[in-house]
Amino acid sequence: MTFDLGATDGGAVAAPPRRTSNLRLLWRDRLGRTGLILLAISALMAILGPIVFPFDPAQVGANSASILQPPSLTYWLGTDELGRDVFSEFLAGARISLFVGLMATLISTIIGAGVGVISGYFMGPVDGGLMSMTDFFLVVPALPLMIALGAIFGQNLLIIILVIGFLSWPRTARIVRSQTLSLRQRQYVARAKSLGASDFRIIRKNIAPHVMQLIVANTILVVAGCILAEATLSFIGLGDPDRISWGSMLHFAFVSGAIGRGAWWYFLPPGLGILLVVLAFTLVGHAFERIDNPRLRGSA
Amino acid sequence: MVSMQTSSGPSDAQHGLVSRRSVLRAALLSSAFIAAPALLAACAPPTTTVATNKIFRVGWKSDIDTLNPLTTVTTEAVEVQSLIYDTLMAYGLDLKPEPSLAASTVAAGATITYTLRDGVTWHDGTAFTSDDVVYTFDLIAKNALGVNAQYFSDYVSAAAPDAKTVVVTFKRPQAFDPGLVVPIMPKHIWSSQSVDQIQKAANDKPIGTGPFTFKERKQGQSVSVTRNEKWWGDKPAAAGASWTVYTNDDLMAQALKNGEIDIIPQVPPTVFTGLQGETTLTSESLDSFSFHHIGINLSQVPGSKGNPLLLDKGVRQALGYALDRKQIAEIAYAGFASPGGSILTPSLGDFYYEPTGDAVIDNNPEKANALLDAAGYTAKDGDGIRQTKDGKPLAFRIIAISTTSTDVRTAQLFQATAAKVGIKLDFATVDSDTMASTVYNVEAPDWDIFVWGWDSGVNDPCYLLGVPLTSQIGGNNDVFYSNPAYDALYDQQATELDHAKRVAIVMQMQQMFYEDCGYLVAVYIKKLQSYGNAGWANLTAVPGGIIFNFTRDNYLKATPAGS
Amino acid sequence: MPPLLRRVLVLCASIFAVLTFNFFLFHIIPGDPIRLIARSQRLDPEAVARLRTTYGLDGSLPEQYGKYLSNLAHGDLGYSFSLHENVADIVGRALLNTLILLTVSTLIVVLVGIAIGVFAGSRQGTRSDSTTVVTSLVFWSLPTFWVGMLLVFIFGVWIGGLPISGITTPNAVYGNWFQYISDIGRHLILPTLTLAIVDIAFFVIITRTSLLEVMGEDYMLTARGKGLSRRTMVWKHATRNALLPVVTASVLYISALVAGAIQVEVVFSWPGMGLLMYNSVMARDYPTLEACFLLTSVAVLVANFCADLIYRRLDPRVTVGT
Repeated sequence: MTFDLGATDGGAVAAPPRRTSNLRLLWRDRLGRTGLILLAISALMAILGPIVFPFDPAQVGANSASILQPPSLTYWLGTDELGRDVFSEFLAGARISLFVGLMATLISTIIGAGVGVISGYFMGPVDGGLMSMTDFFLVVPALPLMIALGAIFGQNLLIIILVIGFLSWPRTARIVRSQTLSLRQRQYVARAKSLGASDFRIIRKNIAPHVMQLIVANTILVVAGCILAEATLSFIGLGDPDRISWGSMLHFAFVSGAIGRGAWWYFLPPGLGILLVVLAFTLVGHAFERIDNPRLRGSA
Repeated sequence: MVSMQTSSGPSDAQHGLVSRRSVLRAALLSSAFIAAPALLAACAPPTTTVATNKIFRVGWKSDIDTLNPLTTVTTEAVEVQSLIYDTLMAYGLDLKPEPSLAASTVAAGATITYTLRDGVTWHDGTAFTSDDVVYTFDLIAKNALGVNAQYFSDYVSAAAPDAKTVVVTFKRPQAFDPGLVVPIMPKHIWSSQSVDQIQKAANDKPIGTGPFTFKERKQGQSVSVTRNEKWWGDKPAAAGASWTVYTNDDLMAQALKNGEIDIIPQVPPTVFTGLQGETTLTSESLDSFSFHHIGINLSQVPGSKGNPLLLDKGVRQALGYALDRKQIAEIAYAGFASPGGSILTPSLGDFYYEPTGDAVIDNNPEKANALLDAAGYTAKDGDGIRQTKDGKPLAFRIIAISTTSTDVRTAQLFQATAAKVGIKLDFATVDSDTMASTVYNVEAPDWDIFVWGWDSGVNDPCYLLGVPLTSQIGGNNDVFYSNPAYDALYDQQATELDHAKRVAIVMQMQQMFYEDCGYLVAVYIKKLQSYGNAGWANLTAVPGGIIFNFTRDNYLKATPAGS
Repeated sequence: MPPLLRRVLVLCASIFAVLTFNFFLFHIIPGDPIRLIARSQRLDPEAVARLRTTYGLDGSLPEQYGKYLSNLAHGDLGYSFSLHENVADIVGRALLNTLILLTVSTLIVVLVGIAIGVFAGSRQGTRSDSTTVVTSLVFWSLPTFWVGMLLVFIFGVWIGGLPISGITTPNAVYGNWFQYISDIGRHLILPTLTLAIVDIAFFVIITRTSLLEVMGEDYMLTARGKGLSRRTMVWKHATRNALLPVVTASVLYISALVAGAIQVEVVFSWPGMGLLMYNSVMARDYPTLEACFLLTSVAVLVANFCADLIYRRLDPRVTVGT
C-alpha cells in the first residue's frame, strides 16, 4: 500500500549517514518540514494526550439520552454509541494506532533488512531461495492474507502486529538486497575477504553502515503502510476488542449507525487522524528519498 | 520483478518542451471516454415499475437457513414458511387463536378434534385432506422432528375418521394446543421419503396451502413469494412479498428511507433513534416476547470444562447482584428495553412473576460483596479480584455473538460492574455458529458464561418455561439446568386447564428458577420496527411486532398506501 | 519459445506454491476441522465419520493433500455449512461482481492517473506540478474505507441522490437490458469514485516520476537535436518509455487494488469477493474464506504474469533471450 517515488534500487550508493545534517536537510525541504511538524503533532497527541485527557472505557453514559450526542462544552467531540467521550477516546486511539504501526514496522524492518543483507551478500543458492520466498510474499495480496491470518489466529494486539509486520518485509528485503549486491562488488570488500575477515565482520563494518540510510528512508514509508493496514483490519472487525484504535472507532461508527445519524464527530476525527499520521510519515519518507536522490527534487 | 532504472535526471529547462494543448487534449479525451457512459447511466431513472409497488418488501440482516419446516432453526425461515404453509389454527392480530385450516376445534379431555374447512388445495393443485394432518403430526411426534416436537411429549395418536375430521389423542389434557404452530405438510410429497432423507431435504420448491406460493430464492440475498390466487381465505392485497438480506444496518435504514424496501422488522436501537425523527416513516417501539440474558454453565457431566465455581449458587447470585440491568437497558439498548427479571416476559400477562423487595436480585454491589465474603472468597489479588482459599481467581470467560452488538455491549458493561465486586470476566466474541456449537455441546461444554437471547415461540408460557427442563438438555436447554422439582411443576401446568390454578403453578416455577440464577435475565427488549408511509397502510402495531411475530396477519391485511 | 515457456512454468510453480500454502493455512492450523465444518449441526458419530471421509480427513497428511488437490482439479471448492451452498457457486457469483467493479475502476484510475501524471511531469517546477504532487500525496494517504464512509454520508444521508449499497435496486423489474445495465451503472458510481479518489494518486506520482526521468535521458536530447516536433517528442519517445516503469509499478498496484476493492465492497455492500471474504470472517466460514483467498491469490499471480508479458513486449531494450 506504499510505493516509492523512485527508490534507488540498484542506483548509486548513498553517502554514509550523518544524522544531524539529515534532519536539517529534511527541515529545509518544504514538504519534509510539513511532515516533521505533523509527526511532532502526532507524537504529542499519542504520548501526552491520554495522560492529560485519560479515557476510561467503562465510563459509559448515564442514560440513553447521552448516546451519540453532538459536541458540547463537556464533550468536546461529542459522545459515542455508549455515551463515552469521543475526544479522549480519539487520543487513546492515537496511541494504539501509532503503537501497532511502529511495532509492526520494527518487525518488518528487522526481517526485511536481515533477509536482504544475507541474500545480497551470500548470493548464489541462498539468494535464490530467499528471493523466491520474498517474491512469493510480494505477489500474494496482502490484505486477504492478513484477513485470513487474523481469522485463524484470533484477535489480539500481538497477533495483529505480527501479521502486519510479516506481510510488509518483502519490499524492504528487495531494496536492501540490491544495495547489498552492489556494495558487495566493491573493492574494499574483496580486499577484506582476502585479508581473512569473517563474513560477519564484513557485513557489520563495510555493508551495514551504507545500507542504513536506505533502510531508514524505506522504514518511514513502511510505517505509513502499517498504520493504514491496522486501521483497515480494525475496521473490518479483526482488531483487538479490548483496545481502542482509530480503525476500531470507525468500525463501531459504521456498525452502530453513526453515519445515518449524521454523527460526524464520531466518524470524522478518527479518519482525519489516520490521514494526518500517514501523511506525516509519507511526506518525511519521500523528503528523505529526495535527499538521498537529488535528481528527484525540483518541484517542492 | 524489474526495478525502475534511473539515469541522468531532468533539468529545469525541460518544462517548456511539452505542448500543453496536446497533454490537456489527451487527458480530456480519456476522461470523456470514461465519463460519458457513466453519465448516461446516471441519467437513467431508477428502475421501479408498477409491479414492484405491490410487493411487500422486507429488509433484514440474516438469510433463512432452509425452507424445510422440519429442520429449520432460524426465526427468519419460520417467518417465510408461515406464509407458504398453514397451521390448523393461527394467531390473529389480538394474538388469540383463530380458525385457520381447522374451521372448528373441540378439546375434550385428552382429545382434540379438528374439523377441517372445505375447498383447500395444495399449491400444486392436489386436494388437502385430513390424511395430510395425520401424516404431519405422526411424522413430527414419532421422530421428534424440528422445533415443534417439544409439544408432543404426551402424544398418543392421530386418526382421520373422514376426509374432514382429525382426532388427536394425548395421554393427558394439554394446556397448549400444538395445532397453533405446526405447519401442515403435504403427505403426497413427503411420505415417499425416509426420515433420514427428510432431515437432509432442502425443500427448494416448497409446496404448502398458504396465502403465498414460493417464487424464488437467491442464496444469501433474498427470498420472494407470490400471492396464491387459489387461497381459501381473503386474498392479501399484496401481489407478493420479498425478504432481502443487508449486511449493514445503517445502509438498510437508508434503503428504507429511499423506498427501496418497505419495512425493517429489527432495527438496532441506535439506528432507531435516528429513524424516529423521519416524517416519511412510522417507527414503532413495541413490547415483545423476547429477552436477552446472561447464561451460566450448570453442566455437571464429567467432561464439562465450565468453571466449577459457578456451580456454587452463592457465586451465581453474587453475579446477579453485580449485574446492573437498568444500565444495560439504557446504554446497551439505548433505552429501548426494560430491566429483566423472571424468565417469562411481562407481555405474557398475568403469568408474569415480578419479584419484590428482598427477593429482587439486581444491581446491589453491597449484597454481592456480602455474599462472596460469606462464601469465603475474601482473599484478593493485586487487581482486586477475589480468590478461593487455594488461590484460584474468581475469573470466568464470557462470550457473545460478535454481530449482535447489543450483546457485545451488555458483556462489556457487565465486565465493568462485575470487576467492582471482585469478579473478573474475560470477554471474547464468536460467530453465531460457533456460539451454538460451543454452548449446546452436551458432552464437554467448554464455556463459563454467555450473553444471548430468547424469543418465545408462542403466546403461551409453555415455550419459555420449557427451556430449562431436564428433558430439554440436548435440545433448548442452553445452561444444562436440571431441577426435578421444576420439571414436576412444568408437567403439572402443561396439563392444568384451570387458568387460575395454572397461574399459581407458573408463578412458583418462575420464583424457583429466578432464585437459582441459572439465567440472569438482563432485559426485556422492545421490538423496534419501521416502515415507510408511502408504501403500505393498514399495518397494525401488535405486541411482538407488526411482522416477525406469532401472527402473520399484517402480511395479509396490508394494503398499498393511497389506494 | 523457451523463455516464455520458462516463465509459464514459473507461474505454474507459483500457483502450486499458493495452493500448498493455502492447504497449510486452512487445513492444518485451525485445529479440528470437523468442528469447524459441521458448525452447529448436531451430528451423530456416523455422520461425523462420513464427513471425515468426504473431506479426506481420515487419511495421513499426504493423503489429505492429495484429496485436496484432486477436489480442486474437479472444481470442488467445498461446501459452506453457514450458507448452505457449494462454495464454487457462491464464489463464482461474487467473482463476477468484483470483476465488474475492478474493470471499470481500473480503467478510470489508470487512464486519468497517467494523464494527470503526464500533465504534472510536463510542467515540472511550476505551481501546478507542486500542487498536483502534494494533492496526490494527501489523497494516497487517505484510508479507502473512510473515503467510502464519507461518500455514504454525503450522497446517502446528507445530499442523497445516489445509491449507496448493493449492485442493483432490490426487487426491481426491468423493461429492457439498458435499464438493467444503467441500474448497475448507478450503483457503480460511488464505489468507483471511492477507489478513484485514492488510487489515481498512485498513478499520478509514478507516471510523473517516470516521465521526469525519461525526459532527462540522453536520447531525448538527441531527439531534440534532430529537430523533432514537441508533440512527437512527448508521445513517441518520452511517454512510451515512461510507461514502462508504470507497467511494472502496476504490479505493486494490484495488491493495493485488491485491498481497496475489499474495503469498498464492505462499505457499499457490493456483493463481490471482498464482501464475501468479510462475511466469511464474521461467520468463521472457513471453506468460503479459503476459496476467496485462493482465487484472489491466483488471480493476482496471473495478472502479474500478464503485466510482465506486456512489459517485455513494450520495452525495446529487452531482448528475446532474457
